[in-house]
Amino acid sequence: MRRIANWLCFIALCTALASLNGCAVMKNVQEPSHPESEIKRNNFQVVRGDDVVGQLAVIKLEEGDTLPDIARHFGLGINAISAANPGVDVWVPKAGERIMLPLSFILPDAPRKGIVINQATMRLFQFKGNSPSLAVSTYPIGVGTEERPTPMGQTRVARKAPRPTWHVPASIAADHRKKGDILPAEIPPGPENPLGEYALYLSKTGYLIHGTNKPASIGLRATNGCMRLYPENIAMLYKDTPVNTPVLIVNQPYLIGQRDGVLYLEAHTPFEGSGAGELEKINAKLKSIEKQSARTIDWKKVKEVQSEARGIPVPILEMGQGGHKEEVKPVKVEHPDTLYGRPAIPELKLEAWYVLAADVREEIDARRIAAIINHQGPPIPARVLSKSNGYRVVAGPFDTISAAREAAKRLKIDLDIDGIVIEPVKQI
Amino acid sequence: MKTGLLVISMMLVVGAALTGCATSGDLEKVQAQQNLINAKAEQALQDAQAAKAAADAAKQKADDATARADNAEKAAAEREKIADEKAKRADAAFQKSMRK
Repeated sequence: MRRIANWLCFIALCTALASLNGCAVMKNVQEPSHPESEIKRNNFQVVRGDDVVGQLAVIKLEEGDTLPDIARHFGLGINAISAANPGVDVWVPKAGERIMLPLSFILPDAPRKGIVINQATMRLFQFKGNSPSLAVSTYPIGVGTEERPTPMGQTRVARKAPRPTWHVPASIAADHRKKGDILPAEIPPGPENPLGEYALYLSKTGYLIHGTNKPASIGLRATNGCMRLYPENIAMLYKDTPVNTPVLIVNQPYLIGQRDGVLYLEAHTPFEGSGAGELEKINAKLKSIEKQSARTIDWKKVKEVQSEARGIPVPILEMGQGGHKEEVKPVKVEHPDTLYGRPAIPELKLEAWYVLAADVREEIDARRIAAIINHQGPPIPARVLSKSNGYRVVAGPFDTISAAREAAKRLKIDLDIDGIVIEPVKQI
Repeated sequence: MKTGLLVISMMLVVGAALTGCATSGDLEKVQAQQNLINAKAEQALQDAQAAKAAADAAKQKADDATARADNAEKAAAEREKIADEKAKRADAAFQKSMRK
């Protein structure tokens, strides 16, 4: 009997250990390791009757921070963080400056089913479950350029692929050829592949939702019509999205929605050509709401929100009893020890190759250039070195001359920087 | 009678002569006062000229300082404009580099 009890104890211990291990593994797969988790970034419960999710937050910047690094850590695009903080230097913000994290979102005016992409806000919403237990996961995205825009309308996920191969379209190959960059017909999975680690192929042929090897491009109009996500976000979306999931792509720069009996308005800078029409539509909607509610909208406030276009939901009308129009104070978030995904800069090595990327008088210019180089995809490490009458930006270290030359070539093609390759210091 | 008239006349002459002596002393005193006042006036004039010169110099300095401040402001605005343009150019280059 005692022997059986001992065995039972042993099995229970093993099960407990195995389950603990499983939790850790799951955590590693699902969530990037953000040490402070008090602010929700991606996953929200949608309260019945509400259209607004999340919460605004503020964070105090530290020396060496850049807005793209803060944006990535908190699941925001560069567009959102820049719009919410007008006048803040994207690459060299002041240490100690408090910046807004626009982590509150009005859901797009569309059926809450499958994936809904709002191009104007550069955000993807993935709806799960049904009311009253509807949940939404939302991720920032990069979309198509003005010349090659992301197509609008209804489509669906036709197939999925991990570690996709990129078959270079002829138009992109031609663009690169003009810059002196000859691309191969296809690029296999790896750091050079712009599709990243996962791809969802849409039924609209040639358009994908995929990862990226240029995370700093999230929140920019930089794709050829595809929608790209941060590597950590595409991993979650890929896992949660079955084939045939409906995908609706809309363009809604002005959003209205209710939360707790208060009507909110969120405005984003519209894409060229769509501003006037969208403004007319939203104002007509607001007039209709004003008429129905028999309350007066603060139109001065509405115009202010629309012209500022900070991408933040702002209360504009109490819809009924119990609603409080006062703006909710943003939550203060502690600066994390390390920002998730921040480009790492290896230590200087005397025996390595470098590329002199810039020689400038002002420190701020040097820091900006170094930050931009650091955020290339794949990353090129770069740092600022001071000298008696100015500052130098040096990319590296590189182990071989060919790696240094390759970096210099990329600097020329992508940033029009004429880099000079520096050979290793000869040790006596 | 004649003698009486003569005495009166003499007394009048002596009186008149004595009066004339008193006027001459006064004149000297006035002259001295005038000299003093003149000296004072000269001093005051010199002081005023010096004050005006100082005021002119101060105004010139103020004008120079204003001009320098204006120039510094213009230069700062120019530097800011250049910095803004540099930042914009850098950002545009970055955005271009983020394409596939």
